[in-house]
Amino acid sequence: MSGWRVPLTDIAMPEQDVQAVLECLESGWLTMGPRTQAFEQALAGYVGTPHAVTVSSGTAALHLSCLAAGIGPGDEVIVPGFTFVASAGAARYVGAEPVLCDVRSAADFNIDPEDVARRITPRTRAVVAVHFCGYPADVAALRELCDAHGLVLIEDCAQAIGARVDDAGRQVGTVGELGTFSFFSKKQLCVGEGGMVTTADEELADRVRLLRSHALTSSTWDRHRGHDPAYDVIDVGYNFRLDEPRAALGLSRLGRLDDNIATRRAIVRMYRERLADVPGIELPFDEQAVERSSHFAFAVLLKDRATRDRFRADLKENGIQTTWYPALHKFTEYRRFAPADGLPAATEAADRHCALPLSSLMDEAAVETVVDVVRAAVSRPG
Amino acid sequence: MSSTEIFPELPLFDLRLEPQDLEAVAETLRSGWLTLGPRTAEFEEAFATQLGARHAIALSSCTAALHLAYLAAGAGPGDEVIVPSFTFAATAAAALYCGATPVFAEIVSRKRPSLDPEDVERRITPRTKAVCVVHYAGYAAAADRLRELCDAHGIALIEDVAHAPSATLGGRKLGTWGLAGAFSFFSNKVLSVGEGGLLCTDDDDVAAFVRSRRSHAMTSGTWDRHSGRTDTYDVDGLGFNYRLDEPRAALLLSRLGRLESEITRRRELTLRYRELLKGIDGIILPFEDSEVPNSSCYVISIMIEQDGRQAEVSARLRERGIQTSIFYPSIHSFSAYRERFPDVSLPITELASRTELTLPFYPHMTHDDQDRVAAALDEAVAQ
Repeated sequence: MSGWRVPLTDIAMPEQDVQAVLECLESGWLTMGPRTQAFEQALAGYVGTPHAVTVSSGTAALHLSCLAAGIGPGDEVIVPGFTFVASAGAARYVGAEPVLCDVRSAADFNIDPEDVARRITPRTRAVVAVHFCGYPADVAALRELCDAHGLVLIEDCAQAIGARVDDAGRQVGTVGELGTFSFFSKKQLCVGEGGMVTTADEELADRVRLLRSHALTSSTWDRHRGHDPAYDVIDVGYNFRLDEPRAALGLSRLGRLDDNIATRRAIVRMYRERLADVPGIELPFDEQAVERSSHFAFAVLLKDRATRDRFRADLKENGIQTTWYPALHKFTEYRRFAPADGLPAATEAADRHCALPLSSLMDEAAVETVVDVVRAAVSRPG
Repeated sequence: MSSTEIFPELPLFDLRLEPQDLEAVAETLRSGWLTLGPRTAEFEEAFATQLGARHAIALSSCTAALHLAYLAAGAGPGDEVIVPSFTFAATAAAALYCGATPVFAEIVSRKRPSLDPEDVERRITPRTKAVCVVHYAGYAAAADRLRELCDAHGIALIEDVAHAPSATLGGRKLGTWGLAGAFSFFSNKVLSVGEGGLLCTDDDDVAAFVRSRRSHAMTSGTWDRHSGRTDTYDVDGLGFNYRLDEPRAALLLSRLGRLESEITRRRELTLRYRELLKGIDGIILPFEDSEVPNSSCYVISIMIEQDGRQAEVSARLRERGIQTSIFYPSIHSFSAYRERFPDVSLPITELASRTELTLPFYPHMTHDDQDRVAAALDEAVAQ
């Protein structure tokens, strides 16, 4: 394999998870059945939402959310410029135009509601609030803004399952009309490939359920249980279904999600303590954000892009795997969506940040290993 | 689940996995690497070799494979893709995903419910970008003639091979006749995994395009970055998340080794089924016995000769604990398609859709159960 001293992420797979999948495989029923139902019910309970609909990926969740919200050709969807590319791709799948907006700052790199307000036009239909790296975006401000302008708020929670938007413990994915989640292999709750849409609106939930399975009026599972074999197709739907083995795996892992997040938060706090006074390293976000975040990734900020690139090369040489997210408007495919002002904060955040290893399998010793390498890297004369 | 629901004694399909399949999945899960890694690569290579195709690219579903195949054929807004209507909705829906228009073509007959090349030819226009042929029930459609036709018109032939892994036409595997073949690994399929699909092609550019678009057109993957091969990536197109994951690739790889022997078993049982069904008055048995050795024998499909009896016969069989299905209601008769394409008329397809029934069938089906289905069908049709 790779031989990293400390890899970027790592997955714990206790035997009970493996057994849950094997039991499902032994049952011989692999698609849209009782395990998917049980997983969805448990997810709805966890997030605190009336409806949770599992899908094939976080991307599919965003795509179906745009469709369910009635977004289409001629519409604009405001998306932060500092996020994973799927956040903007979804608008394009439905024929709409992504309008890139800025984040607050390099040190608070979530979507900036004030910048969103500046980009609203008569064609704007929705705002995608990305809770980047697990840190909750300011959905209270965005909710107010969307309500004032009659816009749909879609929360992109792909990196933020279990993050809270307030001190009362309200979770991400419950403030927008729709919340989208990812169960991709690097995520806090991972099954391989998978995703989910949450909503309090029964009509939206029905719409997502319909469109995830080719808009068929009955499923293979319904027909297996003796329902009439005839069905209609009432819209242009997709195959965005999750299958039963992944639902079984997700359900088994969901029980440990809070522990997983607590461990990640503890690791992040260890990092922050040890890096607080290291010259050349800036820590984004504050203690309140750390408390509310579900900690998908832990990023630090370097002085500038060149320093960051040297820093990453140095860490790589010392066996520490890191990553970074380019800003969307810097991709070949998204240059044409770059606004005139060039999204200064998103650009700065993208240029200066470096994500360090973070997983629930890390311990204090692993943190020390990374921190030692980081200290050495920043003290080396550029 | 409500108490009024009836689980059939003889279901339409029944999947049994072997201990080594489970072990393959368990091993993958324990490895902790769950997405686009060594197992997907190994499965793709094994599948390509078995098929005799240059490239096999694992995807999230056959629907995804069709979508990417049509895009690779250049289908976009204003273009047309000719498809049968006697197929699953995905064959046509994938054209709509591209912004193109599905143009429905007729099947040959109820005895041969495969795309009719002559009808396809009549529907080719300057806007036609591709023809998608479905190998219904696992039996080869006229891919050879369609290939000639498509070549003559400079349009792409796409094969929807969802039913027909390892089936052949003239000694050549289905899926390798056109620009691309789209396979399904859905749970009721011959090679099933839950949700999954694959696109095969001999064209290097198509393969590169499909690999790019299945993962957001990113120029490197998580695995590349994990293995230290690259540090960052660009995005150079509008891609999707159409990836398969590692546990499913491991399960497929494990099952692929038994595919040929399972199909052999399916063929034996199909021939036996056909003998029983031939004795029933009032039904049409599609295809010929002589085609069975080249078929993947996905399902047993029959047509009730007399129109208007499908629901009644299906209900009688259900009363006897026998599940049936309709493969397929015609796509152009669905509400979503009637709204968009109100003037489609395909009399043979429509009659086939109104009279078809798909019977229980799986590789471990017993002779007794086959006898029971045939007897019940005989009785139900005779009434």
